[in-house]
Amino acid sequence: MIRDITLGQYIPGRSLIHRMDPRVKIALTFVFIVFLFIASNFEGLLMMVALMFLILFLSGVPLSQYFRSLKAILFIVLFTGVLNLFYGGGRVVWRCPFFPVMQITDGGIGNAVFISIRIVSLILFSSVLTFTTSPTELTDALERLMKPLKVFHVKVHEIAMMMTIALRFVPTLLEETDKIMSAQKARGADLESGGVMQRIRALVPILIPLFVSSFRRAYDLAMAMECRCYHGGEGRTKMKQLHMTGLDAAAVACTAVFCGAVIFCAAYFPASLR
Amino acid sequence: MFVLETKELTYTYGAGTPFEKTAVDQVSVGVKKGEFLGVIGHTGSGKSTLIQTLNGLLRPTSGTVLLNGKDIWAEPKKIRAVRFQVGMVFQYPEHQLFEETVLKDICFGPGNMGLSRPEAEARARRAAEFVGLGEELLNKSPFELSGGQKRRAAIAGVIAMDPDVLVLDEPTAGLDPRGRDTLLNQISEYRKKRGSTVVLVSHSMEDIARCADRVLVMDGGRAVMLDRTDRVFARGRELETMGLRVPQITSILLTLREKGYPVHPVLTVDQAVEELRPLLKKEGGVRHDP
Repeated sequence: MIRDITLGQYIPGRSLIHRMDPRVKIALTFVFIVFLFIASNFEGLLMMVALMFLILFLSGVPLSQYFRSLKAILFIVLFTGVLNLFYGGGRVVWRCPFFPVMQITDGGIGNAVFISIRIVSLILFSSVLTFTTSPTELTDALERLMKPLKVFHVKVHEIAMMMTIALRFVPTLLEETDKIMSAQKARGADLESGGVMQRIRALVPILIPLFVSSFRRAYDLAMAMECRCYHGGEGRTKMKQLHMTGLDAAAVACTAVFCGAVIFCAAYFPASLR
Repeated sequence: MFVLETKELTYTYGAGTPFEKTAVDQVSVGVKKGEFLGVIGHTGSGKSTLIQTLNGLLRPTSGTVLLNGKDIWAEPKKIRAVRFQVGMVFQYPEHQLFEETVLKDICFGPGNMGLSRPEAEARARRAAEFVGLGEELLNKSPFELSGGQKRRAAIAGVIAMDPDVLVLDEPTAGLDPRGRDTLLNQISEYRKKRGSTVVLVSHSMEDIARCADRVLVMDGGRAVMLDRTDRVFARGRELETMGLRVPQITSILLTLREKGYPVHPVLTVDQAVEELRPLLKKEGGVRHDP
């Protein structure tokens, strides 16, 4: 059934990572990703991987969950990994008997491993953010972080509100889709067989009612918001104030140490990518 | 003798996950040919799930559904044929309208059955007539209709498939009293003319009391009562423990009977008048409390 698909990956908990300020989490995730690319050698990468494992452990989310999120990008990792095997310098290890141009070098193997670790870490770092931060916290934090953009007349509050509403209505619309599908199936709609064109055509009886009901819901919601005198973010206070605590300071300090180590590695060891 | 029958039917949502929930539990009920069966039950009692297994929208976790004595899941590839024989009208069916014109939308079901265009249209026109949609509405967009008209157009879309069994889930929800009466009358009329079987799920005990020959009471996923309508409502106090109530007039008569008056707990106001008239005569018209 369609509603079994889990959207939003938040896994509720009370771990140290869960309790951090979402703004700090977003900012630090950004820093991690930047430093994954600053790390130019295996020594530096090792620092980032160590930091990553520390965070995974602290998040209290079962490792199996993280593996599941990796499964989705397995193909990309393999694809880039295999491609990189052939694009490196150094000693030739294997040469394709049919196409002599294709050759695997020791440098290529190193590159493949390096890039794969980088991509996997990238996904894991961002998984920590989505696993430990609820969608509402995320939009709240984004609203706050984007506030400086107001100088350029970006409607920050409106964007955040749109994100919140969109997230809120995902389960509602899924349920609605489910109902409409059942109703059309009861009238003999065939959604499971036929060629591509036939299947696309079979979606029309589902998409049109879904569109109509989305608009109806949007009008209702707009009306309800206006009845409560909603007029945008001007002078609006928050029910849940975001607070930074010692925990966040500790996280920033910890990140700073690891990032310092990465810079040190980058300066004192040769680059690994060849 | 049963047109539609379930045997020890069980349906479990999310089987094998931590969110496992048995919505229908070992239900064995039969619907007789040509009868009007009412289904009542508290929200979450499993009645919606039960009726969705009747036309193969949900596949039972265990147990079988028999249509004219044959297991509907014997050949899963032919399940669509079952859906044409057991017509299902969902709650708020007007949300399923999508075509450019009302006529085309009503034709969607017959068209899926593989009928030719003129044949499908002939059926659609007949179905529209049954639910009282005038000719002038058939070429309008379904989105231009009023709420009650939309509801009728959607029901016509199911009737047009000419099903042997018509299953309706709360067809009168959200309609005004007159719309409610008209719709129920049209369904009864349709049943009389076609000789088809009707299963009606409703929260309105008055609707059930008025239309149903027999009533199925669902509670906690189980079928707890299946009997003639008057016999089910005579057990009003039991129904109340399940979060259900009986029609108001029946409730009044039940209370009178508990106080020792010799009345039957009938289902409609007209019948109640007949019940109470001799009583009032005997008491000299007005009863004076000492």
